[in-house]
Amino acid sequence: MHFDASTGLLEIKGKSYPENAAQFYAPILEWVRAYLQEFRDKHVELNVEMIYLNSSSSKAFLNLFDLLDTCAKQGQSVVINWRYHEDNDTALECGQEFSEDLESVTFNLVEICEE
Amino acid sequence: MALSVRELYTNLMSEGIIFCFCGSVSQSIVEGIGETLWQRMELEGAQTSTIGKVFPIFVEQMQNILTYSAEKICSDKNGGEELRFGIVTVGKAEGRFYVCCGNYVDGRAAEILATRLSELQTMNKEQLKELYKQQRKIATLEGKSTGAGLGFIDMARRASKPLEFDLISVDDNRLFFSMTTTI
Repeated sequence: MHFDASTGLLEIKGKSYPENAAQFYAPILEWVRAYLQEFRDKHVELNVEMIYLNSSSSKAFLNLFDLLDTCAKQGQSVVINWRYHEDNDTALECGQEFSEDLESVTFNLVEICEE
Repeated sequence: MALSVRELYTNLMSEGIIFCFCGSVSQSIVEGIGETLWQRMELEGAQTSTIGKVFPIFVEQMQNILTYSAEKICSDKNGGEELRFGIVTVGKAEGRFYVCCGNYVDGRAAEILATRLSELQTMNKEQLKELYKQQRKIATLEGKSTGAGLGFIDMARRASKPLEFDLISVDDNRLFFSMTTTI
């Protein structure tokens, strides 16, 4: 996880299956909430490249996306890039399902091709 | 009569079981085995490989033991990490891989499991998808488990046929729960 406050670029990558996702993601959600509140005019871009999310992590990510969606509704410039490998159908479907429930935020499905 | 390791090994092999873990489950163990399984998957070259399908089910079942198993001890070391007991096996039957888990549960947990799993058995893929999205929205993140059974719905969605489960009464307030997810 790499969140750069100066550039507004937030990156989360890898696999997520903590025992207690609520506990693990709470400070992250807090940080993002405070950041978005303080820098309302800043363009924020979240790059997500998750190979696997267990069910409780999936909930945590929905909470994060909902937060960004709310800010986008209020006029903030927010983009979410859901990155997935070309041969990972599950990751693609996961991204598609998230985007179905988000209303205002720009949610891009970005295919990563192996060179 | 002592059960020799060779006998146990032979029995497991003859049942088509390719992986078996029986004992105390902790998050460290889930991560350790998980990462090893994942490395094996990478060596085989693709995330759509069999192990890539087995991995999510394996994690959910191990973590269910962490949540539901009535057999547990709390460790004073390891920052108070809780150890819970159960069994997880991965095997192959009729050409399909399956992941099976078993652990003791108390009466209350047994009721919740029976209700939830029976309901899931009747649902098709579309219904499971809708239920998953619905439960994910309403579940709060308080406490260790979402309490919404998201893990079970996730497994049901990944399975090629309805989840199978069994609850066997052991004494007044304990039952042995077992569940099979066929991939």
